[in-house]
Amino acid sequence: MTRETIYERLNAVFQDVFDDEEITVNDATTSADIEDWDSLEHINLVAAVEKEFGLKFTMGQVVTMKNVGEMVDIILKSIG
Amino acid sequence: MSITSFAFLCSFAVVLALYYLIPKRIQWMFLLLVSILYFLTAGEPWLMLYPAAAITIVYAGALYIDGVKEPKRRKTALSLVVVFCLLLLIILKYCNFGIYTYNALAMRIFPGSSLLTTVQLPVPLGISFYTLALLGYLFDVYYEIGKPQRNFLKFALFGLYFPVIVSGPILRYRDMEDQLYASHKMDFKQVTYGLQRMVWGFFKKLVIAERLALIVGTVFGNYRSYAGLYIPLAAIGFAFQLYTDFSGGMDIVLGLSEALGIRVAENFRTPYFSRSIQEFWRRWHITLGEWLKDYLFYPLLRTATFGHLQEACKKRFGKKTGKKIATFVPMFLLWFAVGMWHGGAWKFIIGSGLLHWCYIVCGELLIPLWTKIKAFFRLGADSLFLKGWQQLRTFLLVCAGFVFFRAESFSEGCRMYGAMFSVWNPQILWDGSLLSLGLDAIEAGLAILALIVLLTVSLLQQKEGLRDRIARRNIVVRWVIWYALLFSVILFGYYGPEYSAAEFIYQGF
Repeated sequence: MTRETIYERLNAVFQDVFDDEEITVNDATTSADIEDWDSLEHINLVAAVEKEFGLKFTMGQVVTMKNVGEMVDIILKSIG
Repeated sequence: MSITSFAFLCSFAVVLALYYLIPKRIQWMFLLLVSILYFLTAGEPWLMLYPAAAITIVYAGALYIDGVKEPKRRKTALSLVVVFCLLLLIILKYCNFGIYTYNALAMRIFPGSSLLTTVQLPVPLGISFYTLALLGYLFDVYYEIGKPQRNFLKFALFGLYFPVIVSGPILRYRDMEDQLYASHKMDFKQVTYGLQRMVWGFFKKLVIAERLALIVGTVFGNYRSYAGLYIPLAAIGFAFQLYTDFSGGMDIVLGLSEALGIRVAENFRTPYFSRSIQEFWRRWHITLGEWLKDYLFYPLLRTATFGHLQEACKKRFGKKTGKKIATFVPMFLLWFAVGMWHGGAWKFIIGSGLLHWCYIVCGELLIPLWTKIKAFFRLGADSLFLKGWQQLRTFLLVCAGFVFFRAESFSEGCRMYGAMFSVWNPQILWDGSLLSLGLDAIEAGLAILALIVLLTVSLLQQKEGLRDRIARRNIVVRWVIWYALLFSVILFGYYGPEYSAAEFIYQGF
């Protein structure tokens, strides 16, 4: 799966979780860029991404990922 | 030995000089030695056995967890170490809370039954702070966020680092490992900045907090004589006393550490400017909030039980509302833990825990109503009026919790609320009654002036670090500012016996 394909699916997940069809994310997107992305929504987002890609983030990854780019790196590494 | 005492400051001057004179490769060993000496001289020396035991167990546990691949064995080792550390903490800090609660229940359910007697156990310095720091390190190793420290003495320094041992901030090993054991060259700017921050901390603690403590103590100590408007005024006074006491202490601690070349995490970001309770907790005692979020709240939200609860709530209340309602349960546990952390008493559990949970739940449930009100008055998100109202509302809600926090007990706090509404006495604002609370007109004027300085500094800090702004000024302006601050501490600070101010409020936690 390419990075672009992941972003297409990831955008849909973000739009669904944050209930905003305008959202598009990139490598540099962080919680500061999306108003509702607080600690609660972070976990909802992680769960939704896990469901979409059929993977499981470790607690360490959940706590330390700094931006969407890091999230995509983990997805790529997990599903190849 | 308090960090505001004259003896401590003299000792620190010697430590600072020696720290930069000794070979750099042994600086961390020197810090460990100083930390052990500080611990041994600050209280009963034998109490050192508690942190020593916790450090040893966590050190060994982390190495074992790192070396084992089998998940079940890793989990068992983690659980054993966590239970050991928490048992020590609970027995030493919360034993009497259990006894009080049992007695209160026994008296109501089985009147006449025999009651348990409370015990007075000596508690080691900073047990809550070092326990959370050590457990955070252990969880990081378990979650494979960081590698364990193999050198026991280096790890002991992390557990005992003297500037933070008394009142935090709660250290995170991954933020500290590169700094604690590195060589630190004498950097004039760094040392000066550290000392400047310490002076600012002393100003907050000795000029503001100790002064406000007199008024607050008078009202809270005798609320039957000071009913009505005295009580909310005292609660607001306590809000500033607690903030200047705790954040002033943090300025001193962070300044001490900065002078040693070691930057420690910030614990406050002007919390009283927060626009919501959630934001307040992201700006007040930040390291506690971060710790609880990473090691309690997130793991709770990742459990299968929470997943099932969320699905059930979504089906029952719809996607958006259901998702929110489901989080109220883990949030209850989180706020219970926040309250418990402050002490084994219902006044803390409710005043700084569950009451805040209620605020957040009500706030979430009232969002549709607020949205309508904002639309009706055409208030945009950037409206200054809205921002001001939200800040004031958040501050007053926090103050409402502080009534319980500062009261002798939860029931005394309830009685204070009764006393507050029993009399209508607005005349105290202008008839001079407020000057009978412990501060005369000059002292009260000084307190107000100092609070204005605090507000100005807080506003200026929003944009850029104030020390950088002052450092860019010419030498005359710089010296006038820093000497004025230093002399205001010397002249207007409230000192206790042997020039040692009262203990920090958060020291007991």
